[in-house]
Amino acid sequence: MSNSEHLATVMVNAFIDAVDRGVDLVPVVADSTSTAKISPFVKKYPERLVNVGIAEQVLVGTAAGLALGGKIAVTCNAAPFLISRANEQIKIDVCYNNTNVKLFGLNSGASYGPLASTHHSIDDISVLRGFGNIEIYAPSCPIECRQIIDYALEHVGPVYIRLDGKALPELHDENYQFTPGKIDVLRQGHDIALVAMGSTVHEIVTAATQLAESGIDATVINVPSIRPCDTNQLLEILKPHRAVVSVEEHNINGGIGSLVAEVLAEAGCAIPLRRLGIPDGGYAIAADRAATRAHHEIDAAGIVKQATALFQAQKK
Amino acid sequence: MNPFSLSIEGLEKKARAIRRRIIVLNAESPAGGHTGADLSQVELLTALYFRILNCSVELKDSKERDIYIQSKGHAVGGYYCVLAEAGFIPVEWLSTYQHADSHLPGHPVRHKTPGVELNTGALGHGLPVAVGLALAAKRDNSKRRIFVVTGDGELTEGSNWEAALVAAHYQLDNLFIINDKNNLQLAGATKDIMNTDPLDEKWRAFGMEVTQCNGNDMADVVATLEALQPNGKPHVIIANTTKGAGVSFIQGRPEWHHRVPKGEEITLALEELKDE
Repeated sequence: MSNSEHLATVMVNAFIDAVDRGVDLVPVVADSTSTAKISPFVKKYPERLVNVGIAEQVLVGTAAGLALGGKIAVTCNAAPFLISRANEQIKIDVCYNNTNVKLFGLNSGASYGPLASTHHSIDDISVLRGFGNIEIYAPSCPIECRQIIDYALEHVGPVYIRLDGKALPELHDENYQFTPGKIDVLRQGHDIALVAMGSTVHEIVTAATQLAESGIDATVINVPSIRPCDTNQLLEILKPHRAVVSVEEHNINGGIGSLVAEVLAEAGCAIPLRRLGIPDGGYAIAADRAATRAHHEIDAAGIVKQATALFQAQKK
Repeated sequence: MNPFSLSIEGLEKKARAIRRRIIVLNAESPAGGHTGADLSQVELLTALYFRILNCSVELKDSKERDIYIQSKGHAVGGYYCVLAEAGFIPVEWLSTYQHADSHLPGHPVRHKTPGVELNTGALGHGLPVAVGLALAAKRDNSKRRIFVVTGDGELTEGSNWEAALVAAHYQLDNLFIINDKNNLQLAGATKDIMNTDPLDEKWRAFGMEVTQCNGNDMADVVATLEALQPNGKPHVIIANTTKGAGVSFIQGRPEWHHRVPKGEEITLALEELKDE
């Protein structure tokens, strides 16, 4: 596909444009300048960046202090270290203190692949869903990513944005309008609903095309906005289907699959759900993206296999 | 400019009034309190709020006002008594300390209590946030200064030392780190549990300017704080204090870390804290 772009590049361009228009934005990194691909920003605004060294606790604490001092503080480092090492700083300094900090979880999920589980963040959404008053977003493509970032920089309060680590092609055109909380239906079908967040939305798009070839008409649902989430809208979209499959490069506990399960169960809606992701109690394997997704059946082929089986079982 | 700018004698009298309030506040608490920690920092907070800080209710929205951060959040009872005396909160609120959903919870909560700048309680959070505030002030060419009081037991939290590196690297001489060094923590003597001495050498090695004072001697506290000048280094003031200072049967006793006065103890303490 064409027009692929790395979401970190989208992020840095959004930062440059924000400062250009007068936003008092201060990026804070933990030796993560290359991870954040932030050199174009530093080149244009050499005095703005704060680099705290390899020290995630003070990364987040400093960002909270900068925000209390009137800055829009944006942290940019690898999601696994942000979420796990600075967990209490996110909980207290950012969420509980309601500081105007935007946390960017770079190379999230299993983006780091072969670097293994120290470098995977398959728990970030579940951890942050347990924290108070932080908005949580997982963009699926460059255009959506840019709109989410522009919104986050305008919004006053804590925001987490989960960024995939690979260049991603567009799923939307310039007419797309991201709205916090809103669900994005990329393909309307009738038989089965496929739900995903972030980069795995691309897998369900491909899976839907393949399912159509075997006569299964799938709805493709992108959930970029985990909190807030218009759960009524999600429920109405899911209701007409015979089965639902959720897909995420995240543990199946606490991520998009859990969100869908909660929505269905609380509505008393007995549609069978299959949650695909890193299984309960497990880790993502250490491998490149294709092998990782194939192993955990969160690639198009695995989704087709699981969706077909679930759909056939419902027809009986 | 501090709106009170009290003399040493005035500050000492204010400190006694605050100590009396601490005794009553803890006695009326339905959920215990940290009486010893509240008392050890009285001279520090009294000097700050009634002489040193450019901070008042009226300056709430000023970007030039100094910021005080109570990193040892468990000593919030004493902090509330200071905020009440300084007019940030009504004195009547003090009798609601730790009552259900009151304005005065058992650790500082800024959306509950006017004057509180940061929610703390988990230790090792005040200093990193203070570093961010100091950086923001530097970038804005603001005269704002950031004062943070930490415990000494608290300094075993590694986040403090991450923050120390950043503070020195960015030459944050608008940052004043006051260690309330009372040598006692929850389970006993700090030197036995995890020794942080020699504390001055550690801070100096991290690039700070270090001074020491008797943290329960008002004249010494004020002279020490007022002598500090910006010189490219963050300031550390090791305030040697006595936990429970000011009340003979509380001071220096570890059991008062999380104990409140009861019955006759209240009368005895208030008698000791009378103005002469």
